[in-house]
Amino acid sequence: MHKRFAVVLLVLGSVLTPGLSAAAQATIGMVRNSAGAATVTRGGQVLPAAAGTKLEAGDLLNTGSDGSLGVILRDNSTLSIGPGSRLILRSFVFSPAEGKLGLFFQLSRGTLSYLSGLIGKLAPESARFETPVASIGIRGTRFAMKVDE
Amino acid sequence: MSSSGASSGSHGIPRTLTACFLVLLLTSACATSSPRGTFILLPDESGKTGAIIVSGKEGERILTEPRQAVRVAPGIPPGEPFVLSEKEVLAVAGPALEALPKPPVLFILYFKHDSTELTEKSLAMVQDVMRTIRIRAPVDISVVGHTDTVGDRPYNFQLSLKRAKAIAALLIAKGVDPSILEITSHGKDNPLVPTGDQVHEPRNRRVEVTVR
Repeated sequence: MHKRFAVVLLVLGSVLTPGLSAAAQATIGMVRNSAGAATVTRGGQVLPAAAGTKLEAGDLLNTGSDGSLGVILRDNSTLSIGPGSRLILRSFVFSPAEGKLGLFFQLSRGTLSYLSGLIGKLAPESARFETPVASIGIRGTRFAMKVDE
Repeated sequence: MSSSGASSGSHGIPRTLTACFLVLLLTSACATSSPRGTFILLPDESGKTGAIIVSGKEGERILTEPRQAVRVAPGIPPGEPFVLSEKEVLAVAGPALEALPKPPVLFILYFKHDSTELTEKSLAMVQDVMRTIRIRAPVDISVVGHTDTVGDRPYNFQLSLKRAKAIAALLIAKGVDPSILEITSHGKDNPLVPTGDQVHEPRNRRVEVTVR
């Protein structure tokens, strides 16, 4: 019940947060490294995910059977996915000055590893990963998961 | 017409559908295969292990030990947690773990009182910042200005903005592409060392540069 509420607040927060600049607000992180087939799908468009590719909330990350992808998020957390993975960056809010923090990502298949950053330090209960079988709350710091379809 | 075909069995339910319901009862999955998840808690680079909470529909497990794992399948409570060897961890998530980027590097540059001039020590540190930027390129850099609590909020917001802009200008002069810099000002709101209001604190007069 509380969790659902938090997610709703997060989504509202990301919509209503007045931005410093549109670009800074929209970018939630950057692809740091990629190998094999790795793409970002945004608004129906499929873009190659290469080192330096900027990421936004709502982006879908996909890797092929030879693909992998490493990402650094704005709160200094790091995330990666292995081959055959599908991850939606559903929402991400990082405005510590206003006390607005949150992360909600969904892995529907494949593997993922994550090392928490400032959101994990400042508001661990607001970071959440979801899979088809379970959701993960993080109390620090590094973990891995695999979803078999 | 398809409905008349479907109800051509003895009591209106086709045999295949009945079989499917039985399978559904046994495995809680019929047409689609059911997903399964494996969740593993790992120590960080410094060897510290935190905790994760794995919540399924049928229950939750809290993992607190290094390389402790739990398997979850739909319709049944999460299994008993168990500890994996390092080799087993790699067998589950090796390629993902190999792709995990190094954590970003944070530099804290300090300023003289009510000034956009760096302390001598911090001025020397700018070289380290530049070296890290070159080694890690392509990077994305955030430059966040802060002040101590002396003075009012609007004044300090402007002062820490000037500090952040001064550092950004310094990095740009040394060849950093302005488009990879994100400048933010926090004024007196996020002190590194918490103090009361109107307190001189050199450690709070700073710009935090994060190289990602």
